[in-house]
Amino acid sequence: MMKKLVCLLLILGLTVPLEGCWSRREINELAIVLAAGVDSAPDGEILLTVQIARPSSFGGGESGRSGVAGPQQNNLWVISQAGETVYDAQRRLETKVSRNLYWGHTVILVFGEQIARQGIRKAFNFFTRSPGARETIWVLVARGDAKEVLNSHSQLETTSAQGIGAMIRAGVGIPVMLKDLSLMLAGKGINPVLPRVELTASGTPQGPGMKENIPEAENEPDHGTQTHAEMTITGAGVFNDERLVGWLDMMETSGLLWLAGRMKKAEITFPSPNEPGKDFSACIYRSITKIEPFYDGQNIWFDIKMRMDAELWEEQSLEKITEPRIFTAMEESLTRRVEQISRAVLEKAQQDYEVDIFGFGDVWHRKYPRQWPALKDRWNEEFANADVYISVQVHIRRTGLTTNRVSRED
Amino acid sequence: MLEGGKINAWQAVFLNVIMVSATALLGAPAIMASQAGHDAWMSALLATTLGLPIAWITIKLGSLYPGQTLIQYLERILGRWPGKALGLLYLLYFTHITSLMVMEYGSFLVDVFLIGTPITAIVLISITISAYILKLGLEVLARTNQFFFPWILVSLVITFLLVIPEMDLTRLQPVLETGPAEIFKGSLAPLAWHGEIIAFAMIIPFLTKPGQAGKIVALTFIFLGLIFFLLVAIGLTVFGPGLANMNYPILNVARVISLATFFERPEPLIVAVWVTGGLIKVSFFYYIIVLGSAQLLRLKSYRPLVLPVGAILAALSITVSASTLAMSDFIAHYWPFYALFTFEFGFPAALLAIALIRNRGIKGQ
Repeated sequence: MMKKLVCLLLILGLTVPLEGCWSRREINELAIVLAAGVDSAPDGEILLTVQIARPSSFGGGESGRSGVAGPQQNNLWVISQAGETVYDAQRRLETKVSRNLYWGHTVILVFGEQIARQGIRKAFNFFTRSPGARETIWVLVARGDAKEVLNSHSQLETTSAQGIGAMIRAGVGIPVMLKDLSLMLAGKGINPVLPRVELTASGTPQGPGMKENIPEAENEPDHGTQTHAEMTITGAGVFNDERLVGWLDMMETSGLLWLAGRMKKAEITFPSPNEPGKDFSACIYRSITKIEPFYDGQNIWFDIKMRMDAELWEEQSLEKITEPRIFTAMEESLTRRVEQISRAVLEKAQQDYEVDIFGFGDVWHRKYPRQWPALKDRWNEEFANADVYISVQVHIRRTGLTTNRVSRED
Repeated sequence: MLEGGKINAWQAVFLNVIMVSATALLGAPAIMASQAGHDAWMSALLATTLGLPIAWITIKLGSLYPGQTLIQYLERILGRWPGKALGLLYLLYFTHITSLMVMEYGSFLVDVFLIGTPITAIVLISITISAYILKLGLEVLARTNQFFFPWILVSLVITFLLVIPEMDLTRLQPVLETGPAEIFKGSLAPLAWHGEIIAFAMIIPFLTKPGQAGKIVALTFIFLGLIFFLLVAIGLTVFGPGLANMNYPILNVARVISLATFFERPEPLIVAVWVTGGLIKVSFFYYIIVLGSAQLLRLKSYRPLVLPVGAILAALSITVSASTLAMSDFIAHYWPFYALFTFEFGFPAALLAIALIRNRGIKGQ
């Protein structure tokens, strides 16, 4: 009898752990941060801007983003707060935000231009230390303030942060995760490059119930300005260690990725060899870069060999590319263009910015481990003075659905 | 006989592997990398090699005194009172490192997953479960481990396979840049981990075939070599020498896994490995303390000691170290010397020497 009673009590006791635990965090008690921006504030403080999701306005249904006319909802809340540190700013945000900030789903971290020029080290330790945030957050640098960039939404994705995340994942610009940034800042053989974002005027949203954006409608009372600003990747920011020193445009970013051997896919336009003013466009879908460093005790030089495969996507001219001679000339033109782009970014890095953004230092270090300690503290100077020999070979392997253009007269 | 149970060879191998490596899974790669940089994978291999003599001493002592545990043959080797004194020191040492293990075990969970939960709660729950296992005896401990071991291994292997896309072998180059001294220093902490094999001396008598102890240890070291090497090599190829500054690098390794954006965040695998492996490790050492104390005091049963020792372990685990930073500093910089010079290598080697000399004397007569 006694035994049965004890058993019963024990079984009843099991219900205690079943009900959950303390310090649990339910999803409706969290403020999910999708994007974080860090700017510099007066008095050496940090201005933290967060994009907080409002999940109730997300998933479709009657109130969400269904195309049918209805009151448009805000699915984001963007709020800024200054603080001594990021954590301090977050803590102070708790006086304005009713829920706990949750960093586990943060997609992007954006540094403002000003704090990037002052140095980013002081601004991102929180994100690698706190177990909530992930090391797979995409890191970007804003032209202007990060705060302005985060004040945006996306037409296609639920939020602008997810929009940018999707673009970077698809290979636009130069993808850098938080863990990559930490690694780049940990060594002297490479300097960080972060993709640059800014808001650009991006088309006019259309839909039933919305006024067409024609000049005649301008005087109508409910004709708002329909120009939409979307977060856009417009190149990359070059850092000397932790400080932003300059920018690269999208083409130069491609050159950087080719030289560093990190490119996956790139579109490129090159002039027709025979018909001036006309262009070809191709997509480079495979690219292998071999970097061979050399050192003779005095001079440092690099041999860079790039082998690429491309597919032709557009031809403006009337050339008969089925002729081997013309085809070869076309491939040569493409090769020259790739070389030109790579050389342009190399010269910019060596002469304008004097920073090794390609990781040549790491490659050199691997080949000359004994000489590295003596050089590593002035590696950027050595890099700026190094000779770099680039040899490129691009082959066009595919030409799409047609050989010569169909509209060509024979 | 204090312990009626018997364990077979495979159970012993599994138990040994977990008993040594469970707490090394998350933090050890960082300790190695902080000394040996990107050459830390050599430290791991070196540690396994240098651990072999300790294993050999353990086996040799066991074969000289069949049917007896470490605590029992200490008295045979050194005489009654010196033997008892050293036995007491051994028990205190095991208590010390076990309380550290309990703290490590709880700290990880509180640091990363159960933020805000008092560590006391985790410590009490784990000690309670361990105490229950102990009450049931060595056989149950071995079978529990036999059940979890494959899952631990599978979870680790899955994690390692999934992180392959994030690996970059060039991060291991240039090979041998750090120099032999640093690689040796980096191997000390993992060597101290391997040295925990000395605890095997406490359960050799309970093997179904004690003669297989040598084979068991050899297999254990193959497992350990692979585990330690893979842990640090994978950590390095994913994070490079930056590994050195991470508290739980293997957790970070799991966190960067992302397959085609839909298979992400497999950290529960790591938690499963830690929760089960850590618990078995704690239980094993807890068992050894309790059994050893009973043998030292010539008790008829070790069971009355289970709860008191558990209370001591729980209390110590909370006070043994002021912070996680102090704890990892101790494990990285003090424990290897403390353990290797004394209880893991120094004392056993001296004991073996004395035992061999005494045995020769006996034979000579």
